[in-house]
Amino acid sequence: MIASSDQAGSRVIAAPRRWRTIASVALLAGVSVGWAALPLSGGAGGTSVVLSFAIGCGALSVIRLLVGGGRPSEAALGSLVHRTAEYLLTIVRGLPWAQVTAVAVLLLEVLHRSRPWHTGLLGLPLLGYLLAVHLAETHAGAGVLRAQLPLIAAGFGLAALAVGVAELPALHGGVLSPVIRVIAAAAAVIATGLTIPLWLGRNR
Amino acid sequence: MADYGYQTGDRHVPVRWRPSAHAGRLLTLAVAALALAVITHRPEFAGLAAPAIVLLSTVRAARPGRLRVRIRPVDSGFAEGHPSALQVDVDGQGDYAAELRIEPGEAITPGPAVVIPGPAHVLLPFTAQRWGRRQVGMLAITLRDRYRLTEGSTRLGLPWIDCRPEPAHLTRTILLSRLPSRLGEHPSRATGEGSEFVGVREFVPGDRQRRINWPATTRRGSIHLSTFAAERIQNVVVIADATADVGEPGASSLDLVLRGATGVMGRYLADRDRVGLVMYASRLNWVAPGQGERHFQRLLDLLMSSPGGSDKAAGFTRLPRAALPPGSLIVVFSPLLDAGLVEAVRDVRERGFSVVIIDVLNSEPGDDGSKISGLARRVWRLEQQAIRFAMLELGVPVVHWDGRSSLDGPLARYTRKVMVVRR
Repeated sequence: MIASSDQAGSRVIAAPRRWRTIASVALLAGVSVGWAALPLSGGAGGTSVVLSFAIGCGALSVIRLLVGGGRPSEAALGSLVHRTAEYLLTIVRGLPWAQVTAVAVLLLEVLHRSRPWHTGLLGLPLLGYLLAVHLAETHAGAGVLRAQLPLIAAGFGLAALAVGVAELPALHGGVLSPVIRVIAAAAAVIATGLTIPLWLGRNR
Repeated sequence: MADYGYQTGDRHVPVRWRPSAHAGRLLTLAVAALALAVITHRPEFAGLAAPAIVLLSTVRAARPGRLRVRIRPVDSGFAEGHPSALQVDVDGQGDYAAELRIEPGEAITPGPAVVIPGPAHVLLPFTAQRWGRRQVGMLAITLRDRYRLTEGSTRLGLPWIDCRPEPAHLTRTILLSRLPSRLGEHPSRATGEGSEFVGVREFVPGDRQRRINWPATTRRGSIHLSTFAAERIQNVVVIADATADVGEPGASSLDLVLRGATGVMGRYLADRDRVGLVMYASRLNWVAPGQGERHFQRLLDLLMSSPGGSDKAAGFTRLPRAALPPGSLIVVFSPLLDAGLVEAVRDVRERGFSVVIIDVLNSEPGDDGSKISGLARRVWRLEQQAIRFAMLELGVPVVHWDGRSSLDGPLARYTRKVMVVRR
């Protein structure tokens, strides 16, 4: 391979790594959907529909990575099958399937009764899935996430805090008590989340 | 994304910034989780949003607005199928990682993209798959911050290259029995001042004493001299027929004409012969025989500037005298589809030149299975056979070359021994 650089740290993007990353995306999508769907019998009405939707979106997000961002060919001159395939590929390439999958997974989790620790653990494969999609899209290695690890760890610390808040017994503060509790947790998460990077930057 | 054409020297190109797709996905996760937390009164969903919010909060406002980029080819010459590279110097991106990727032009195969963590000089490999003047493509530079939340992008034009045809392999050359009286490196039949021993003859006044053959003198009792072959040069004129371009791209008749002509010219020039070129196309262009590396470059320039096979030949049937020195060996690369060229070769042969035709036709008209199509194909084949037979009758050998093997195989019959000149 000719590509080289006189600066340490430059690297050539290799194709085999991309296959591993796409396999990781498929695995993490499956784990996220599966974890959110468990137990299958415990969901509210419409769980099976949302589950099917989430599985479809996850599969399409993997297909989108596999087909890449190639240009459509001269479909107008091709056969009906060729034109249909090109049209479907354009749809697969054009929609943000990973985002839709993430929302579908959250909806699937919402359809089950409250189980804070289960929801908290769902964050691990879900964020991993989004990061893996990014790595596959940019042909990057997992090493580029090294700088983000402290932030991700802090984020999951906050998630654990929110799960702890949810596990606390409800206060007897009236009708607005659950709403206030949620808003307080969200505010704490946002405020701390915005503060942590500043604190990390000051100590760097 | 802004596009900028190719320029030599340092260039300062603006960078367009936008949030990355990764940032969009994190934002979607955070907003959806927070919304669900509020709607369903379940604080644990706010926790799901936490990692995404922490990552999103690292977005920086200060970004490099311009990059200094310098692009130059590593090699001065390019040949089809041979890997080459561009040297790209990138500066001004600060601590943003830059991904450099070649978006290839026609018949260019790019190497892998390269990521550099800061200002650097990098080599971007590529391979030109077909001869001709072509642009390497565009250089896409993508800048990414440490947390991959924003992307800056710009595209620059890459240089145009003149890609030479891959020369056909040829190790042995055709040597004529009669060579012009010009000092060269081929031993001729005439005696002269060369180094190849020819025989012994009796001394006549005026002969040089250093040529005395003492063993023969002792044996015969009178002074005898060694005689040597004169070393002569050979004039070779390559006629490249660019009137037709039939066959699959990459192995078409024009591809084979150019590759074969390049190989033959290079081989004869390496033997220090004088080589000329006649481009037989819509216009007739030629370079008279000459020697040396610069002359080879002139020949290649003419070869590359051919108008291609789409133009119709102007029907030249008589090649100019200036292009064909007397006693030259004429090597014709042609699919023999143009009647004008066939007539021109006949004329050259009738003027007393030794001619060899290398037939580069490797395709036939399409056959749709109908009777008419089959009949037309048979007629076409008979016509082609008739042309080749007529050439043989004139004393012009026609050899077929498939373009994949060496030229030594088809020409073996004529390179093994001296080719006798018949007028």
